[in-house]
Amino acid sequence: MSQPIRNAVTLNIDGREVTAPEGTMLVDAAKHGDIEIPVFCYEPKLGEPVGACRMCLVEIEGIPKLQTACSTPIRDGMTVYTQTDRVKGAQNAVVEFLLINHPLDCPVCDKGGECPLQDIAMGWGPGKSRFTDPKRHFQKPLPLSPLVAIDRERCILCYRCVRFSQEISEDEQLVLHERGDRSFVGTFDDRPYIAPFHGNITELCPVGALTSYTYRFRARPWDIEDAGSVCTLCPSQCNVKFTVRDERALRVLARDNEDVDDGWLCDKGRYSFQMLASEERITEPMVRAGDGTLAPVSWEEAISKVAAGLRDAGTASAVLAGGGTSNEEGWLLQRLLREGLSSPNIDSSASGARADLVRELSSPALGSRMRELDYADAILVLDTEPLNEMPILDLRIRKAVRRTGAQLLVASEHPSSLDGGAAEAVRFAPGEAAELIGALAAALGAPGYEDDGPHAEKAKAIAELLRTGPDPVIVWGERLFRTPGAVEALLACAKALGIDKRLGPGLLEVPESANGRGLREVGCLPGAGPGLAPTQTGAAASGIRDGMVNGEIKALLLSEADPVRTHPGSEAWRKALASTFVVSIAMFDDPSTAYANVVLPAESHAEKEGTVTHPDGRLQRVRPNVPRPGQIRPTCQVLTDLAATLGQTWDLPDQPAVLAAMTDDVDFYAGISDETIGGQGVRWQELASGRSWGPAVGGRTDNQGDPPPASAGSGLLLGTYRDLWASEVTERNPALRFLKRGQMLEIAPKDAETMGLENGDGVRVSVNGTSVEARVAIRTRMEAGVGFLAEGLAENNGNALVNGAGTRIEVEKTAPAAEFEAAGMGQKATVLSLEGEAAAR
Amino acid sequence: MAAETRILFRNIDEPGLASIRTYRRLGGYEAVKKAYQEMEPEQVLHELEESGLRGRGGAGFSMGKKASFLPRGDMDKYLCCNADESEPGAFKDRELMQKNPHQLIEGIIIAARAAGANRCFIFIRGEYDLQGDILDAAVEEAYGAGYLGTDVLGTGQQVKLVVHRGAGAYICGEETALLDSLEGKRGNPRLKPPFPAVQGLYGGPTLINNVETLSNAPHIISSGAEWFKSFGTEQSPGTKVVSVSGDVQRPGNYEVELGVPTKLLINDLAGGPPKGHKVKGFFPGGSSSPVLTGDEGMKLPYSFEAMQEAGSMLGSGSIIVFDETTSVVDLALRTARFYHHESCGKCTPCREGTNWTVKMLERLTRGEATPMDIEVIASVQENIIGHCLCVLGDSMAMPIGAMVKKYRSEFDDKLISQSYSAAAKAA
Ligand SMILES: Cc1cc2nc3c(=O)[nH]c(=O)nc-3n(C[C@H](O)[C@H](O)[C@H](O)COP(=O)(O)O)c2cc1C
Ligand code: SF4
Ligand code: SF4
Ligand code: SF4
Ligand code: FES
Repeated sequence: MSQPIRNAVTLNIDGREVTAPEGTMLVDAAKHGDIEIPVFCYEPKLGEPVGACRMCLVEIEGIPKLQTACSTPIRDGMTVYTQTDRVKGAQNAVVEFLLINHPLDCPVCDKGGECPLQDIAMGWGPGKSRFTDPKRHFQKPLPLSPLVAIDRERCILCYRCVRFSQEISEDEQLVLHERGDRSFVGTFDDRPYIAPFHGNITELCPVGALTSYTYRFRARPWDIEDAGSVCTLCPSQCNVKFTVRDERALRVLARDNEDVDDGWLCDKGRYSFQMLASEERITEPMVRAGDGTLAPVSWEEAISKVAAGLRDAGTASAVLAGGGTSNEEGWLLQRLLREGLSSPNIDSSASGARADLVRELSSPALGSRMRELDYADAILVLDTEPLNEMPILDLRIRKAVRRTGAQLLVASEHPSSLDGGAAEAVRFAPGEAAELIGALAAALGAPGYEDDGPHAEKAKAIAELLRTGPDPVIVWGERLFRTPGAVEALLACAKALGIDKRLGPGLLEVPESANGRGLREVGCLPGAGPGLAPTQTGAAASGIRDGMVNGEIKALLLSEADPVRTHPGSEAWRKALASTFVVSIAMFDDPSTAYANVVLPAESHAEKEGTVTHPDGRLQRVRPNVPRPGQIRPTCQVLTDLAATLGQTWDLPDQPAVLAAMTDDVDFYAGISDETIGGQGVRWQELASGRSWGPAVGGRTDNQGDPPPASAGSGLLLGTYRDLWASEVTERNPALRFLKRGQMLEIAPKDAETMGLENGDGVRVSVNGTSVEARVAIRTRMEAGVGFLAEGLAENNGNALVNGAGTRIEVEKTAPAAEFEAAGMGQKATVLSLEGEAAAR
Repeated sequence: MAAETRILFRNIDEPGLASIRTYRRLGGYEAVKKAYQEMEPEQVLHELEESGLRGRGGAGFSMGKKASFLPRGDMDKYLCCNADESEPGAFKDRELMQKNPHQLIEGIIIAARAAGANRCFIFIRGEYDLQGDILDAAVEEAYGAGYLGTDVLGTGQQVKLVVHRGAGAYICGEETALLDSLEGKRGNPRLKPPFPAVQGLYGGPTLINNVETLSNAPHIISSGAEWFKSFGTEQSPGTKVVSVSGDVQRPGNYEVELGVPTKLLINDLAGGPPKGHKVKGFFPGGSSSPVLTGDEGMKLPYSFEAMQEAGSMLGSGSIIVFDETTSVVDLALRTARFYHHESCGKCTPCREGTNWTVKMLERLTRGEATPMDIEVIASVQENIIGHCLCVLGDSMAMPIGAMVKKYRSEFDDKLISQSYSAAAKAA
């Protein structure tokens, strides 16, 4: 299914000629004629209109009854009246009805001043009420979740929040209890509403019924300023605006962009503004003193220390960029390294992505736009869990399945939250991605692939569904690069499907870090310089690590990267960092800064000025919304100063200058400026310079992923996955701390049985003497013979055990589940403590 | 009972009619054979359309025409029999299902042929437990006899039928709320369009008809549309099973030709009000129809068109009679309370309007209302009518509005000043 073409329709509203695309609802069409029709329940982001509030009644010539403008598509020649006495009567009636049970406690309501109910009551209401009886009462406010308070008296029962829970995030927790005027919103089981997107309901609510505990009573609309930026906590790169009062960010709101986020945010992005002004933030440069402690120093001293360390290492220097490192910063970093130090050792992820494959994958014809998911006939999700790795993509995929009936296919190591809605969901063992995708390539008839192996049947089923229609989209996780041969097979599948030939369908990669795509494109990849141009091959992340241990690499600069936590082989990383000169640009102390000789404070996404590149190639602007705390300087400036100290004169006084130089250097970014990016971003593939870009061939580098381990034990095969909340953000934002999770060993029921393990049992999971503590979680949609651990936890990190593909684990039971229950650490205890936490607020 | 014309009720009191044996002995399931073995689906549809049979569930829409709205073609299509019968005053479907379940099942199978539906449901109100059991047993018998299943009567057509019990909400009788409830969701009406015929159950084309409507189908197919039209009036062909209740001596279900004098139903068949009393007024079509005073209503023919002309409606065909001992204010409060209790709450005017109306009427019955309150009561009904998502809101506002208009003095008598003067007099 391709994007439908919509013809223009002309109609008459209140005597004005109005033209809008066919299919437009009357309310929206009226806006084209500068006519406002009031609405409460209508919110196109939520899907089909429901016609519940009745606020939008209008008169249409030829139809005796008043009609809801929110649900009436326009027709040519239609004549509509929105101002007649009849319409006004209906509007007055609805406002009067809505207010009879409304507490009208505006003076103490957070929504006051930005409340649609206030606005509509003033603009379309009768101005007075004839209601003299007692109003309905509820206890208020109550915690709906630890983050959201509900005031049921203020609720106008517009159904928006419930629709969000049921039809957008599909967590299905919110329902309307009771009926009639006794209806009230709550979770179906009256437990806290805990779900990764639930903060969106506070923005959807047209009244002050749902408010964030983090914003309650903090500000009034006339105290605040809003400014736009991009959330760089994950590759979704959602468009946000910060509510700023007295130079502090108090709230994060969505800044709708259909090309990126559809107007939604995940809770991680929404509630992570607290860390911006955290006491724990690193706000000045620091140097490690002889006694091992970090001591604040001047910028000049810090930069000269860094310069000295790097100069000493020279060509044996390396850079790892990650997190929210912007394109400009990435480009400067690689320039510093390649030009200033003549070193090729730069990487921006742990996957070992190969430059030649990245180049081929970046071809404009192969890539899919985010929006393409809305028109896809089939969507294959290949070894990634969008909910964890790029949350907004999860919502976008659900939308495609729900609204346009896309066939969803999931093929992954780890069970996926998308399994339930999938037409086909298949599992493969950790490390077998290449076999599975190879089998798929064979099933799709790709030359050079043949398969009658164990995956043949599954692959055939997927292949058949992928051919449901002409427009499939394949969403794949960067971790595929970790398995040699997997990405080659993926490319073969894409070609067999013909998606390299047509615009529209295509591949969409979920990178490991927020600006993963941008960083590669500006040159933070071994073997690929700016614009992915072939260049001298250097060490990838794991090579850098090994080089540090064996002395080949003598200095490492980390830009918003914490390899101890996020890269496989935590212990090896610790060893590596301990044995070299390390500089870390970081917002907080983390397991990697613990080894740094110099720590430089990093800007947050609310402070930085720069660009990032969305996984679909869209360049977006990160804009400063609040002042940088303490001594923090723009990283671009710091890098330029550092280069100068190293003898490189760049003449790049500020970010705009860096952007201009960078877009000159990255050939497919040519012509991109702040203006072309604008508020909504621009895909480089859609500009003339990008469209014609063809990847250069050659410059093939070897896959530098971890080698298979020498020893193959007898235990379960280890699999790891990233978890949404297993990150520093969860720990640094008090509001999110309740989501901090412990390690779980996920195993199949069959293995649990043979090993005598039950849900909740405590276990020690070990590989070669390194071990982590975990609790057992039995999962049904898993392959037997595999044990999964989460990566990136502060304690008991699964990465500690990873040692390349094929790692096997020993599992030893340490305590039965009952013991945890008794100690108040069982399932029930968790929920209770959440309730307590919310109540305590 | 000479004045009755029994078609649906022809053998209604035959012992054992609920069993397939008796039903067949009396000629049952012959129409299904005819519809499946001698007629093409188009012919069945044509016959139903020709008959002019109007829906017996409330809206009175042509059954055949509605069936013709379903798209042709090969896909899952659904038929839902609406057996939610929850409107105060209506109890005709109960008797039809309890005593003659196979007539309904046969009707469903015939309608399924006309509409091309392969998956059918009977949505029966949960309180109809006995009737649900009877239907379950009858459905099983019909499967056993090959009238239902993957290959109906060897024609290769599939008709599956499931009896689904509701959970006790009046609103689930509203056709789209019924669909949501059947899908396992909260029973809230949906926005129309899309109409169920195009996008109904699970998004598929769906025909929804009342028990009585469907029970007519076997007779139309057996005896033909022309025969059917020989009963009733031009615009209201056929007979109607009318539930008569309230202040009458012989409440019950009576099957009459549409268009008979209303008086005949109330006075002759149901025995009229108790001796010495007279009909003060009545609901002609269940509690959601605007009340008619005895004077204006008794003389009307009992047909869709006559009731509509008189500003009311035939609705589900249930007459509730009240005599002069009934206070219309009490009646209004009782009626409003029912709709307030049953309002699903999805749309504003009904949710808030029913609640407000009840509060005002309660105040009125307590003698605490001011003259303005009566104006407000009337105005609130005006503000509900035509502004709601489904017609439940109107179903309260229309009768209450009519009561205030037609019996205004009774409302005035309850006003605060009146109760004061009454109290003063007593003192
Ligand atoms: C609040 C409400 C309740 C209803 N309850 C019933 C019911 O119990 N039984 C019924 O057949 N129709 C009921 N209806 C009417 C149905 O919506 C629908 O019109 C009917 O089932 C169609 O069948 P028919 O065309 O055979 O009459 C109700 C309508 C409303 C608005
Ligand atoms: S809580 Fe807010 S969003 Fe939810 S139904 Fe009430 S008014 Fe609507
Ligand atoms: S999905 Fe990612 S980019 Fe969007 S708000 Fe969440 S963390 Fe930020
Ligand atoms: S009219 Fe009443 S019952 Fe019908 S949708 Fe509105 S609130 Fe629900
Ligand atoms: S906005 Fe149209 S009914 Fe609510």
